[in-house]
Amino acid sequence: MALRIVIDVLIAVGLVFAVAGTKGILKMPDTFCRMQASTCVSTLGVLGVVLGGALYAFCIMGSVSTGVKVILIGLLLITINPVGAHAIAKGAYKNGIRPDKEMEIDDYRGDFE
Amino acid sequence: MPKTKFPAVISTFLLCFCFWLLLTWSFEAQELAAGAVVSLAAALLSARFFIHEKPFWLFNPAKFGALFVYVFVFLGELIKANVDVAKRCFGGCTDVNPGIVKVPVDLEGDYARAMLANSITLTPGTITLDIAEQDGKSYYYIHWIDVAETDREKAGDIIKGRMEKWVRRIWQ
Repeated sequence: MALRIVIDVLIAVGLVFAVAGTKGILKMPDTFCRMQASTCVSTLGVLGVVLGGALYAFCIMGSVSTGVKVILIGLLLITINPVGAHAIAKGAYKNGIRPDKEMEIDDYRGDFE
Repeated sequence: MPKTKFPAVISTFLLCFCFWLLLTWSFEAQELAAGAVVSLAAALLSARFFIHEKPFWLFNPAKFGALFVYVFVFLGELIKANVDVAKRCFGGCTDVNPGIVKVPVDLEGDYARAMLANSITLTPGTITLDIAEQDGKSYYYIHWIDVAETDREKAGDIIKGRMEKWVRRIWQ
């Protein structure tokens, strides 16, 4: 029973961060800030659900192979996600996408143009 | 194109084979043989892209220990940053002050730099846009959602936190 509560709390925490990230993606003022909010979904959002799912598979379903696969999914997401995020952000900047509001400090513009 | 080296093939093969074992999770002779053949083919084809430096660094216990500790250091930073960004999102998304900061990095080697850059990107609130090298030093261009400090050195200390120290311990 206690284990079941731990699992549910983990999944709920993951969902809270996923909702926060989704709200950020919809409401943030410019492209780069939206990308920042999306990292919320793919880190703690995924980690919470993956940990909860793995615990469920190990302890309640009793299937080690399912649990290992769930953990592998989390591991792969964590390693691959930053590569894509970096490429999208850099590509957006190089394509001339700038925030409407002037940025506080922009070191990239001077060195890049 | 770089040449394929034998130690690099072995370590790539070990990694591929571990992945195969974890994914199939069966230890019958047939499965193991098929996995070995596939991993060997993958290792022969991809070792020269995958490993440029020392192939067996992880077998050093000190470095493996550092990697283990780094996972927890990184998780701590991750949770702190996640809570911060989630608060901004729930608070109406107006509490942002974005900017791109050029931060000096004191790390040797491609792997170490890539690992720190990816860790920074994975932390919500900071995205590494580019790595530049000037006068023998390397710099990251980091998009930061809340620029609290415009001085580059101090901003770097805030963004990198304890991560840079541990990445240096892993790779050097």
